[in-house]
Amino acid sequence: MRSAWWHSWSGVALLLVFGCAPRPAHSKLTPPGTSGGSAVPHALVVDFRDGTPPEEVAERARRWGLSLHFNSVEGTRSGITIADGVEDVEQTLARIRGDADVEEAEPLVQVQALGFTPNDPEFPRQWNLRMIHMPEAWERSRGKGVVVAVIDTGIAYEDRGEYVQVPDLAGARFVPGYDFVHDSEHPNDDNGHGTHVAGTIAQRTNNGVGVAGIAFEARLMPLKVLDRAGMGNSADIADAIRWAVDHGAKVLNLSLGGPGYSAVMERAVAYARQKGAVVVCAAGNAGVGQVAYPAAYAGAVAVGAVGPDGQLAPYSSWGEALDILAPGGNTKLGPGNGILQATIDRTDFRKPVLAEYQGTSMATPHVAGVAALLFAAGAATPDEVEKALFDGASSEGAWSPRAGHGRLDALGALQALGKGAAPVDWSPLLWSAALLVLLLLSLKAKTRPGYLNVLLNPATLVPLLVSTVGLWFLKLLWQRFVGHPPAAAEVLSFPLPDWERILFGRGRLASPLMYSALIPGAAALLTLRWRTLRPVVAGLSLGFAGFLLYAAWAKAPGIAYLPFTFLARPWLVLNGVLAALVCRALLRREARR
Amino acid sequence: MKVRGTVEFRDVEMGVWVLVGEDGRTYQIAGGRSSLLKEGQRVEIDGDVDDAAIGISMVGPVLRVRGYKVL
Repeated sequence: MRSAWWHSWSGVALLLVFGCAPRPAHSKLTPPGTSGGSAVPHALVVDFRDGTPPEEVAERARRWGLSLHFNSVEGTRSGITIADGVEDVEQTLARIRGDADVEEAEPLVQVQALGFTPNDPEFPRQWNLRMIHMPEAWERSRGKGVVVAVIDTGIAYEDRGEYVQVPDLAGARFVPGYDFVHDSEHPNDDNGHGTHVAGTIAQRTNNGVGVAGIAFEARLMPLKVLDRAGMGNSADIADAIRWAVDHGAKVLNLSLGGPGYSAVMERAVAYARQKGAVVVCAAGNAGVGQVAYPAAYAGAVAVGAVGPDGQLAPYSSWGEALDILAPGGNTKLGPGNGILQATIDRTDFRKPVLAEYQGTSMATPHVAGVAALLFAAGAATPDEVEKALFDGASSEGAWSPRAGHGRLDALGALQALGKGAAPVDWSPLLWSAALLVLLLLSLKAKTRPGYLNVLLNPATLVPLLVSTVGLWFLKLLWQRFVGHPPAAAEVLSFPLPDWERILFGRGRLASPLMYSALIPGAAALLTLRWRTLRPVVAGLSLGFAGFLLYAAWAKAPGIAYLPFTFLARPWLVLNGVLAALVCRALLRREARR
Repeated sequence: MKVRGTVEFRDVEMGVWVLVGEDGRTYQIAGGRSSLLKEGQRVEIDGDVDDAAIGISMVGPVLRVRGYKVL
């Protein structure tokens, strides 16, 4: 008995250690490097207590005779305000510093950001590129050599007949494309949409002309599938998707969609992914909780739109299939809040213009561009690209139907690339071990098996490992000694509750059946008949309990088919507890025997 | 089919005219003369819904106009 207690207490110690394990980081971005700084004349910065309401700030501004305004959208939260046109900065600061609501007040300092600032004259108007931290990201990758297919209305890429090349695309890199609407090898744009989208991806940058693009060393593949009115059909689009990957495209941008499901197009998307390409699609502009096709197909990255305030744009669709948000503009906030790009005039396609549009079509090429940066930076597969996109996104928590994995961040994605090198997350196993201690403590001494007796029994340990961390070593051993692992080894190297994800891929919701106590419960029924299975099912249930409770604690992932997102955590907790109770019952019976 | 509703211009993508239908759906209007496309005009459109149409606007199913009357 003493031995049992010793095990239990050592288990409590383990619990404390694991309970203090760091929680998974939610991709908070480190501030870009800065160097030096000099005071801006007649300007100061006042940091109010966090959460100081705008009215209070306005009242202080009046009292101090300053034009105080919040520095950014963060201002209302961080309390950081700035004022310019201050006559005597030092004297004013002396007055302000006595205020109880002021945490800090100091002269405004000009800081030189370490980053690449292109010389394109309209770059300062491209808030969208700053929002996703392009200047810092350009220091790491510019998408060199990666082929990005723009499956759209074509691109104004050549002077031919009545078609013109947009001047800011002169010198941009192109590979041959195709016009599926007119069956021609000259996919010129007669609408303006495709050129605008292509510009965001790989506009000629740092050329002293017009605007900048994200992956400006990538190569564009123009594929025209939409007519002058911007309309097309699933056959042309499916053909274009296959054509693109067969001709070397690694990233496919589809800023288009419709409400109708098409098996032909879904298969084309699956084909592209299987060939190693990332398919990036617009979530739709209906402003409803349902993502349009092709974005909603498994294997596509569905992109919703945010305005310059970082909020979901009112027109942007969202829903279960949403993967990520990116700048798409919100012109309701006034001029200058759309996405600016060089394109051709929508009423006269012979006339190049700079145009500001809004839409999930404008958000999509931001993600496609960053996908190209990731491929150029060494990502080898669409899975790696997606993981970096999602892990690097700035988010306030786990996946949600209105935000996906968060807002695109080019720098965050590049930093996240390769960080997933450690494929095993041990946390669910540690949670299971801690749970086991609690379960054993809750049993009377007579019916309590020893802690190590349970853990060191292979019949228990193996199912415990399978359901918490998967047989990860199978895949690694295979890679080391045999070569490319077969699908079965891939499947087994995921934790059991994630096995259905092999079919549906990463970035989608978890199945409520797999993320539940269903499997342990059903297995427990088998032990009524076959008692020898008890240790096996005990291990399985313990693993599920640890996995589900850890998932609830880490707020990941979302669960499919639940009517409300907030039900996901209660669901996970309830099922985790049920699985733990199954395990407890089995351990007790086993000890009594 | 006939749908009653209000004609609106939506500033998304290249700009698009929609019919906010009394049936609760929003349709992208395809075809129709300029006398139809007036902001706020209440109309009854006789047309065909093309659920399979794909395009840049993505505001809802496409309604191909055969005829219409102003209400």
